[in-house]
Amino acid sequence: MESKYQYLTFIGLRFNVANCLSILLTALLVFVFTFFLSRKLTMKPGKGQNVLEYLIDFTNGIVKSIMPGEEGKPFYFYIFVLFTFILFANVIGLFFQVKINGYTFTKSPTADPMVTMPLAMVTLLMSHYFSVQKFGLKGYLHNYVSPVSFLLPVNLIEEFTNFLTLSLRLYGNIYAGEVLIGLLVMVANSMGIVSVVVAAPMTMIWQGFSVFIGAIQAYVFSILSCVYFSRKLEREE
Amino acid sequence: MMNGSVIAAIDFASLGDSLFLLVVFILLLLLVKHFAWGPVTKMMNDRANKINEDLDGAATSRAQAEKMAAQRQAELKNSKSEAIQIVNTAKVNGDKRRQEILDAAQSDADSVKAKARADAQRARTEALNSARQDVAQISVDIAEKLIGKELSVSDQKDLIDAYIKGLTSADETR
Repeated sequence: MESKYQYLTFIGLRFNVANCLSILLTALLVFVFTFFLSRKLTMKPGKGQNVLEYLIDFTNGIVKSIMPGEEGKPFYFYIFVLFTFILFANVIGLFFQVKINGYTFTKSPTADPMVTMPLAMVTLLMSHYFSVQKFGLKGYLHNYVSPVSFLLPVNLIEEFTNFLTLSLRLYGNIYAGEVLIGLLVMVANSMGIVSVVVAAPMTMIWQGFSVFIGAIQAYVFSILSCVYFSRKLEREE
Repeated sequence: MMNGSVIAAIDFASLGDSLFLLVVFILLLLLVKHFAWGPVTKMMNDRANKINEDLDGAATSRAQAEKMAAQRQAELKNSKSEAIQIVNTAKVNGDKRRQEILDAAQSDADSVKAKARADAQRARTEALNSARQDVAQISVDIAEKLIGKELSVSDQKDLIDAYIKGLTSADETR
């Protein structure tokens, strides 16, 4: 079941071709999805517009559940794109598994920590940025020593654990799903027709469950992003 | 052994992917914002505003309609009382006019009657006067015929005296 990947090296950086292709494909799908649903916008929404508006209302609802009121406004758009992107990225690996000469070319990009980490980093950097914007650099730094100064190390460690939990939770869930699908495929291939009959329904069930997990993880990632934003935007006195 | 696995993990980790993801994700943010998010949220806001405006407009037009209905009701009441007043005035005017006509007719009739009475009186006196002259003439004529001769002055005088005497006696007897 060991997946083999092709690597490209460019100005000293290693690129996993499978990851890059999947990221590109995911981004393309998200763009095409939102682009074609947002054509022919009217006051009375058509089918496509309704779907998109429902999705926007849903992601806005995620932000509003954590930050009701004005302070959540700047995050509506980011959470919308983040949620849609992670959802598509989680699900894409369940349907597209392209292998050529033993090398994997598409998979879930979120099944790699090197992809989930920058996503978590964008969220956390944004939370720091908005905190500095709101309180100024002094107020932002003061939040690390509040409510009492000896909590400074805990607060600092918390920043790193936030980053790690946010990224590794997503990676672990999706990666485990992919591993299990890979195992089921191996089972199906092991003993001819008999094992196919046994493995096919299990694969179907697990794929369905993986869609569910993918949606849940996208939701969790979005809602935790909002939690980190809101925590950075309130002063602990 | 431990060292080897850590190095292998670093070896497999491809930092380029992270960079690639960042670039693609930021590009995706820009594109989606420009092509989908902007127009759709604008439309949603427009719709919310329009609904608000429609609701406000409905409230004001409803208030206006109620005001107009009340006004119409008041006008209707007014017009009813006005109509009653008009009818009353007409009735009073009619009565007055009738009385006037009656009075005029009465006075006309009275004057006509008085005139007729005066005319009749005058005609009677005229007829009486002419009858008296005629009688005098006729009596003189008859007397001439009966006497048939020229009266002397003395005779005449006697006759006149006798006549006057007769008249006075006639007056006395009457």
